Amino acid sequence: MTVRYAVAAILLGAGLLSSAAAQEDSTVAALREQIAQLKGEAEGLQEMFAEVKNAVDALKKLKLSGYIQAQFQSAEAAGIGSYAGGNFPSATASRLSVRRGRIKAQYTNDLTFSTAVLQIDITQSGVGIKDAYLGIRDPWTKFVGLTAGVFDRPFGFEISYSSGSRENPERSRMFQVLFPGERDLGMKLEVLPAEVLFEGEWLSYLNLRAGFFNGTGPTANENDNRKDFIGRLGFEFPFAEQNLAIDGGVSLYRGSARATTKKIYTADATTRVFVVDSTATNLGKNYDRNYVGVDLQIYYELPILGGISVRAEAIQGSQPSTGTDNRVYSTATADLYRREVRGFYVNIIQNIGVSHQVIARYDEFDPNTKVSGVNVGATPTARLTDQDLKYTTLGVGYIYHWDDNVKFVLYYDMVTNETANPAATGALASFKGDVKDNVLTLRTQFRF
Amino acid sequence: MRPIIHFLTLSIVAAATMVAQEVITVKGSDTMVLLAQRWAEVYMSKHQDVTIQVTGGGSGTGISALINGTTDICNSSRPMKTSEKQKLKQRFNSLGVEIKAAKDGLSVYVNEANPVKELTIEQVRKIYLGEITNWKQVGGDEARIILYSRENNSGTYVYFKDNILEGKDYAPNTQSLPGTAAVVNAVSKDKNGIGYGGAAYGRGIRELALKADESSMAYPPTAENVRSGAYPMTRFLYMYVRTRPTGSAKAYIDWILSDEGQSVVQSIGYFPLR
Repeated sequence: MTVRYAVAAILLGAGLLSSAAAQEDSTVAALREQIAQLKGEAEGLQEMFAEVKNAVDALKKLKLSGYIQAQFQSAEAAGIGSYAGGNFPSATASRLSVRRGRIKAQYTNDLTFSTAVLQIDITQSGVGIKDAYLGIRDPWTKFVGLTAGVFDRPFGFEISYSSGSRENPERSRMFQVLFPGERDLGMKLEVLPAEVLFEGEWLSYLNLRAGFFNGTGPTANENDNRKDFIGRLGFEFPFAEQNLAIDGGVSLYRGSARATTKKIYTADATTRVFVVDSTATNLGKNYDRNYVGVDLQIYYELPILGGISVRAEAIQGSQPSTGTDNRVYSTATADLYRREVRGFYVNIIQNIGVSHQVIARYDEFDPNTKVSGVNVGATPTARLTDQDLKYTTLGVGYIYHWDDNVKFVLYYDMVTNETANPAATGALASFKGDVKDNVLTLRTQFRF
Repeated sequence: MRPIIHFLTLSIVAAATMVAQEVITVKGSDTMVLLAQRWAEVYMSKHQDVTIQVTGGGSGTGISALINGTTDICNSSRPMKTSEKQKLKQRFNSLGVEIKAAKDGLSVYVNEANPVKELTIEQVRKIYLGEITNWKQVGGDEARIILYSRENNSGTYVYFKDNILEGKDYAPNTQSLPGTAAVVNAVSKDKNGIGYGGAAYGRGIRELALKADESSMAYPPTAENVRSGAYPMTRFLYMYVRTRPTGSAKAYIDWILSDEGQSVVQSIGYFPLR
C-alpha cells in the first residue's frame, strides 16, 4: 500500500514537474519571441536614426544667418546730406526705415575645406547683393585660404567689422567715402593661424589678408583693365593675466582710376585751387588711388564695470574723384579731380554688465588736405566745392542687449563742417556756418 | 479678511525669496557635465540662496553660449581657441577668464573581450588616422578595428584631434556619437570597437594602459598616474567666465577650487588640481 502511494506521489510529482517545465518552456519561448521582436524594432530604429543622421549632417553644412535693423531717425533740418544712413529726402527731417535686412547663406564642406557664401540685403529700397564668394582652405595647415567673388575689402578694421556686431550705427565718414559699399570684386589670399591654432603658438598672433580687386565696388563691372591691390598685415596680442588685448594692423591700397576725359584737375597746395591739365593724352590715362592705413584696438577689463575697448584708425592717401563727389572716380562723363585725403577716428566702447554698452566716437575726414575751408568759395575759378570741406563727427550712444537676438541702440551724431569763405555764394553759402545736420538714431536689431 | 492678509503676506515673502535667489547658469562640456552637476548639488545643499543650472551640449556649445551671453560659466574640456576669444572680445571687450578646474586622464576604451591591454600613443594615432586597421597589427585578434569618436562640437574630440592626431583628420570611417556615454555604450557592445573619453565614463569596458612611446612603460589611467603625469594622455578641464568673477559666481568658483570642491572631483572619477 505504502509503495503504491509512493509511486503515485512520484508520478504526480513528475507530472507536475513536467507541466511546470512545459509552462516554463512556453514562457521562455514567448520571451525569446518578444526579445527578437524588440531587437528587430531596435534595428529598424537604428536604421532610421542612421538615415535621419545622414540628412541632418547634410543640413548642418548649410547655415542661415542674418539680421534686421529697423530704425527711426530725426535730423536737425529737413533734406540734409548725411552719412548716418544716407541723405534725408527734401522736406523730410524724420524717417522710419529698414536700414539693413540681411540674409546670409553659408554652405561649408569640412571634408574639402571649402565654403560658399551668398548674402543679400532686403530693405524698403529693394534687394541688393552684399556677398557672393567662395573660399577654399589648404588641407594641410588649414589656415591658408583663397577667397574669390564679392566680399569685404581687406583694409583696416572697420570695414570687416560686421554691421550686425558694430556698436555705432554706421561706419565712420572716411570709410564711407573711400570704400563705399565696403565690398569689391576680387580674389584674396588669407593667412589666419588664429582660426585653428591655440594661444601660445606665435603664429597665432599674426594674420594676413591681401588680394587683387577690380576697384569698382561690389556691383559695378571693371572699367580700367587694371587690378587694385588691397592688403592688411595684422597682429593680435592677448595678455590674459592682465585681461588686456592689443590688436592692430597696417593696410595698403594701391590702385588707380582711368580718366574718361582729358581734363585732369589737381589740388594745389600753393595756390589753394584746382589746377587743370588738359593735355590730350590724359584721356585714358590711369591716376593713382593709393591709401595707407594703420589701426589699433585695445581691450581691457575695468573692475566692476566690465570690458572697455579703444579703437582707432587713420588713413591717408590720394583719391581720384570728381568735382562734385569726393568718392572714388568711376564715371564715363566727368573730369577727374585728384585730391589728397586724410582721416581718422577714435572709438570708445564700455560694457556695463552683460546687457549694457555706452559708446562714443570722434571721427574726422579731410577730403582735400591741400586746401582749407577759407579757400572754398573764395573764388569761383578755384573749382572748390563742399566736397572739399573737412568734417568732424562726435557720436555718443547707448546699447541695450535685450537677449542674445535683440538689441536697442540710441545714438546721436553731432556733425561739424569746416566753414567756407565768408564770400561764398550760391550752394556754398550755406556752408559759411555749421550746417544743421546732427542726427538722432533709435534702432532696434534682431539677429539670428 | 485674515486669509487675504495671510495670502498677501505669503506672496510678498515668496516674491522676496525669489528676488533673493541667485541663479548661476553653467553650460558646456559633456565630459564635465556629471562633475558640474555634482558640484552644483553639493554647493546648493550648503547655499540655499543660490540656484545653479547645469547643462551639457559640448565645449563648443558652451563657448558659443558664453559669447552670446546666455551662460554665466562655460565648462570646456579644451582651452578656448584664439578665434573664439576674438569673438568674446568683440561682444564684451574682454578676453574672458580661464580657470583650471580639474585634471582628466583621457581614456582609450576597448571591449572587455578584446585581448589588447596596452597601446602606444603612436599606435592610437595610427588607428584613428586609419593607418592601422586590424587588431592583429597591435597584438590582438584578426578583426577589423571599428572606430568610435565624439562629435566635432566636443572638446574631447578637439583635444584628441589636436594632441593625439597632431591636428590631422580622423579616418573617414570613424563613427561620431553624441556624448562619451554613447561611445562607451557602443564599445561595450562591439567587441572590435575602440573609443575614447573621460575617465568618469570608463566603467563597464576596459581602459587601456598607454605608453608615451615604444620604449617607455605602459601606464593605466589611475589617479596616481594622471596626477604624476606618467599617464601620457592627461589634460586640464576648464571653466570660462566673461569677466573676472564677482559676487555669487566668484564664491562658487572659489568653492570649486577649494579642498571641498576638489574632493568632489575625486568622487566623480576625475583628478584634483593639487
